[in-house]
Amino acid sequence: MGSFYFPGDSWLHRTAAGVKLLLLMLAGAGLMWVHDWRILLLVLLGVLLLVQQSGARLQQVWLYLKTLSWLVIILILYTAFAQTPLGALEVGLRIYALLLGALLVSMTTSIAQMMEVLIWLLRPFHQLGWVNSERVALVFGLTLRLIPELTVQWQDIREAQAARGLKANPFTMGVPMLLRTLRRAQDIADALDARQ
Amino acid sequence: MLIEFKNIFVEREGRLILGDLSLSLSERRIGIMGPNGSGKSTFIRLINGLLLPKTGQICVDGLDTRLEVEKIRRKVGFVFQNPDNQIVFPIVSEDIEFGLKRRIPEPKMRHQRMLEALDQLGVLHLQDRSIHTLSGGERQLVALAGVLATTPEILVFDEPTTQLDLRLRNRFEQHLSALPQPALIVSHDLELMRTMDRVLVIVEGRLAFDGVPADATAWYRTHCG
Repeated sequence: MGSFYFPGDSWLHRTAAGVKLLLLMLAGAGLMWVHDWRILLLVLLGVLLLVQQSGARLQQVWLYLKTLSWLVIILILYTAFAQTPLGALEVGLRIYALLLGALLVSMTTSIAQMMEVLIWLLRPFHQLGWVNSERVALVFGLTLRLIPELTVQWQDIREAQAARGLKANPFTMGVPMLLRTLRRAQDIADALDARQ
Repeated sequence: MLIEFKNIFVEREGRLILGDLSLSLSERRIGIMGPNGSGKSTFIRLINGLLLPKTGQICVDGLDTRLEVEKIRRKVGFVFQNPDNQIVFPIVSEDIEFGLKRRIPEPKMRHQRMLEALDQLGVLHLQDRSIHTLSGGERQLVALAGVLATTPEILVFDEPTTQLDLRLRNRFEQHLSALPQPALIVSHDLELMRTMDRVLVIVEGRLAFDGVPADATAWYRTHCG
């Protein structure tokens, strides 16, 4: 498992990361005010068209969406039960449109580009001497980079314990996870220092 | 390039890691061998100031690691044992360019340098690949390309062939022999050690043997085998 980003030369890849993130934020806020399922469906189809234009493989996109689908389905069922089936349809269309939009930005924007946006956003605070914007951006970038690896690490520990006949519990999983994460953090810090 | 260790002692949590070490290194290829936990990795981490000795002084090209660590790190390229720790970003090109950000502010020149470094190792085709899709050997080469892109004056390798199969290990040896920079290499690979100009054997934190590869490997087999 890696990052969502894939290198490419589509117009979506070439669009400035700040513009994409701003549009995603505006779409996120704007869609909350739309309560017509037909408009929401059009938005979803529009985002799907953009995904297709980005050069992403739809099969891969579906794999990403599938992992969150159970949560969306629970939300849709709850809304259908608590409100109306039409309301549930709106919720489903809205969430899928936003999820796809966020995925589209993640797939066409590298971590380095996102870091540049963060550095730009933090520039006023950097100039005031309140934060070191480059350091904050690096922490952000490293976090995004390492989340998938921590998942793999968790699975490795789980498999190693299962092989020894141990059942998963927070203590037996948590301690090796913590130790390995600290060790890894130290190794990465050394490597970053060496690349100064 | 001259590296000087003067009366070095390194301790960690009251335990002696390296002791009474004084030597000068100027050969083009220097190998460092020793049993696990003998202090080899500590030894090379002293060279670019990742670790500082408890007592003594280390000078790289006349620069003291205590006083001028930034200048030294620009001269010394360090290739770690596990490339996954060294590669920070998920895409090959992105990671190599990240390492150049401070040295080359201009993005186009950074990109060009990244391409040159990958091309030097014959892995230009990997530039747009996700790190997660690369084999262990390819990751090792990408980590090395990331270091070469910074045009270091000396290279330090920490067990570079541990994760490589025979074919990739041989390829690494070819790349190593073609590199113009002097290099220090920590390894258990006796074949690789035979290609060195000088080999140090470190045992229990002490320099136990210092000589030509044939003598050093023979000594290592006899005393540590």
